[in-house]
Amino acid sequence: MDEEAASHGLWPGQGLADARALLPGLVVRALDGPGLAAAFADLADWHTNLSPLVAVMGPPGSYGDLAIDITGAAHLFGGESALLTLALDRLRSRGYGVAGAIAPTIGAAWALSHFARSQIVDGTALAERLAGLPVAALRLAPDQIAGLTQMGLRRIGQLHGRARPALEARFGSSLLLRLDQAYGHAEERLVPRLPLAEYRAERRFPDPIGLMDDVLAATGDLAIQLAHRLEKQGLGAQQFALLLYRVDHKVMTLAVRAARLTRDPVHVTRLFTHRAERFSGEYDAGFGIDMIRLEAGATGPLDPVQTGAFATADGLADLDDLIDRLDSRLGAGAVLRSQQRASHIPERAMRLVPAQSPAPRAQPHPRRPERPLRLLSRPEPIAITAEVPDGLPAAMLWRHNSYRLLRAAGPERLEAEWWRRGQRLELVPQPDPQTLKPAEQPPYVAALPRFDARAQTRDYYAVEDETGCRFWIFRQGFYGEPVAPTWYLHGFFA
Amino acid sequence: MPPADRQQHLAALRATIADIERKPALAEARAQVESAMGGFPQLQGGLVQEIFTDRSHQIGAGLGFALAQARPLLTGRREAVLHLQLAGESASAGLPYAPGLESSGFASDRLILVRPADMAELLWAAEEAVSCRAVAAVIAEIGGNARRFDFTASRRLSLRASAAGCSLFLLRAGPARPASAAHLRWHLLPAPSGPRPYDARAPGAPRWQLRLERGTLLRQESGWLLDWTDHGLADVSFPGAAGRKGDGAALPRPVPAALADRLSQTA
Repeated sequence: MDEEAASHGLWPGQGLADARALLPGLVVRALDGPGLAAAFADLADWHTNLSPLVAVMGPPGSYGDLAIDITGAAHLFGGESALLTLALDRLRSRGYGVAGAIAPTIGAAWALSHFARSQIVDGTALAERLAGLPVAALRLAPDQIAGLTQMGLRRIGQLHGRARPALEARFGSSLLLRLDQAYGHAEERLVPRLPLAEYRAERRFPDPIGLMDDVLAATGDLAIQLAHRLEKQGLGAQQFALLLYRVDHKVMTLAVRAARLTRDPVHVTRLFTHRAERFSGEYDAGFGIDMIRLEAGATGPLDPVQTGAFATADGLADLDDLIDRLDSRLGAGAVLRSQQRASHIPERAMRLVPAQSPAPRAQPHPRRPERPLRLLSRPEPIAITAEVPDGLPAAMLWRHNSYRLLRAAGPERLEAEWWRRGQRLELVPQPDPQTLKPAEQPPYVAALPRFDARAQTRDYYAVEDETGCRFWIFRQGFYGEPVAPTWYLHGFFA
Repeated sequence: MPPADRQQHLAALRATIADIERKPALAEARAQVESAMGGFPQLQGGLVQEIFTDRSHQIGAGLGFALAQARPLLTGRREAVLHLQLAGESASAGLPYAPGLESSGFASDRLILVRPADMAELLWAAEEAVSCRAVAAVIAEIGGNARRFDFTASRRLSLRASAAGCSLFLLRAGPARPASAAHLRWHLLPAPSGPRPYDARAPGAPRWQLRLERGTLLRQESGWLLDWTDHGLADVSFPGAAGRKGDGAALPRPVPAALADRLSQTA
């Protein structure tokens, strides 16, 4: 509610018809709730340059109240009053209407900032200050406030001395909880928006910087600081996050992950350099960056290692470094390792895992049946002709080309895993392989409701055409059934 | 331009080309081929090899040829092979399949799959991987899209590979032969396989017809007919190797170790 609206006699909670009557030229717009909440969340993240513990108060998706835990952070700004002035002034200078207070409890700070002028209250003066505030300052529901007002209880001080059972019976336990939270008898936890990293290093810039190169140079310095601190504790970290605080209250976050515990500043800086290259399209420093914070997470004990003259060169470390670099530049899910699993169904026998996850050394296992070197993630429909229905395939039509199959081995019959009900082996049924364009995705059909071994049986054949190309094909279904069997190409042999 | 100047200019250009073409790595490879008469030679690390197939679905054969050469390059120090493939191409060309690698005798946990989004990233990743000391070989699937992969890019890669001693296999497809600085260029054609013991109608061990199109490895005819067996690449066109044709049915890999173990217990 700004002054112009107030001067025309409008007030929050007013009926729209009344407002229109007062002001015929009124333009009405719906509030963009999610948009505002997101913008406010950005603002909240930006306030982590005061203290890492910042939360948006109220139910999820709300906006308007910001709680900052400044325990142990005030001295960085020259005391609590200087901190409060800084926080309020920099928002006011951007044209926001803002009120703030510093108090020992979240409830008291909320009450003071909403119902008193901006001030700092310490533990001794808390009860006195709260006593004079209206009951609405306790973050109560409207009907609770109305009830209290009816009974003549207008100030918090009037509630404080009363018998608790009576209050609880009349207004519910939430009133007592809010009261206790304000006075600090009940603990109220602040859920920070950004996860708190134990180890961090930060740098403020008197003049905002904008170039990515400057940011990376500063990151190098921070990485060295962080490495010293981690080394003192005998720790290494696997996750690193770089937070760039823009002057215009936005925060950009770059995160990288290392395959093994590290604190090597060169390596960490290089990972951020690669990530920044990938990020460069969306990098926008706005009016400049005035603070950078480097955080280390997922820490674990890392013993000091000998480097230089007597270092034992380990190929594994080089490989992990390479994987880190590739992963930070190419993005998540681009560097993978295959892992074998106990399943006889071809597409389930292997899964891809990030290469950074610890690789379990595969046990030597008995020789497996012959499998193709490459597997299609989605089997492609083909048309097969055979001399007799159940004979070896003799010709294949795939991607509009026909292949004459001279040799074939099979069938190798694979049935569905009976311990899984339904849906596992189901494939998309094909309308007609000849009319289907290769790029067209076939429609997805819901899984069968119950396990049906006969419908989900595949007969695999290894075939070779006249030029020596070797394919792995299978037939799903049986001849002589009401539903005709369909053929698919699933892989390529070397 | 006067004729004398032109002559000089040409000579200078020839010198430059000779400089580019001078490949010290290849000389060593040649010496090795000389010593390994018969069979397909084991080429040492640090070479850039282009493997051309006619059609893109034959890239499975190219992958097999590259893996067959990469397997002996794996050592304790160099313990990984990187496979680079554009993320968008795996849907049509398929991904290397771990059980298939195992049944071909390649330990699947040694293969790291890298899936860059575009060609520029793939080239960057190839360069990083080739210069890493812990990588035995890099297999890059260029396929038919050679637009971003020009002579300069291949020259960079071949310099890196020679310096670091890491082999690079470029799997390419199509009839075009764009300029590149690869040490060796193979034309690989799948060939009808040899007979499989006990089943005459079944395809045998993978067999390829190989032609060396660029670079020389001593032999004048520079053509091979290879079988990929459990024991590596066997030259079936060479008469001396004819007796090894049945290698497709040789003992699977873990078994000889088990036999030896039992022998030592009884002895």
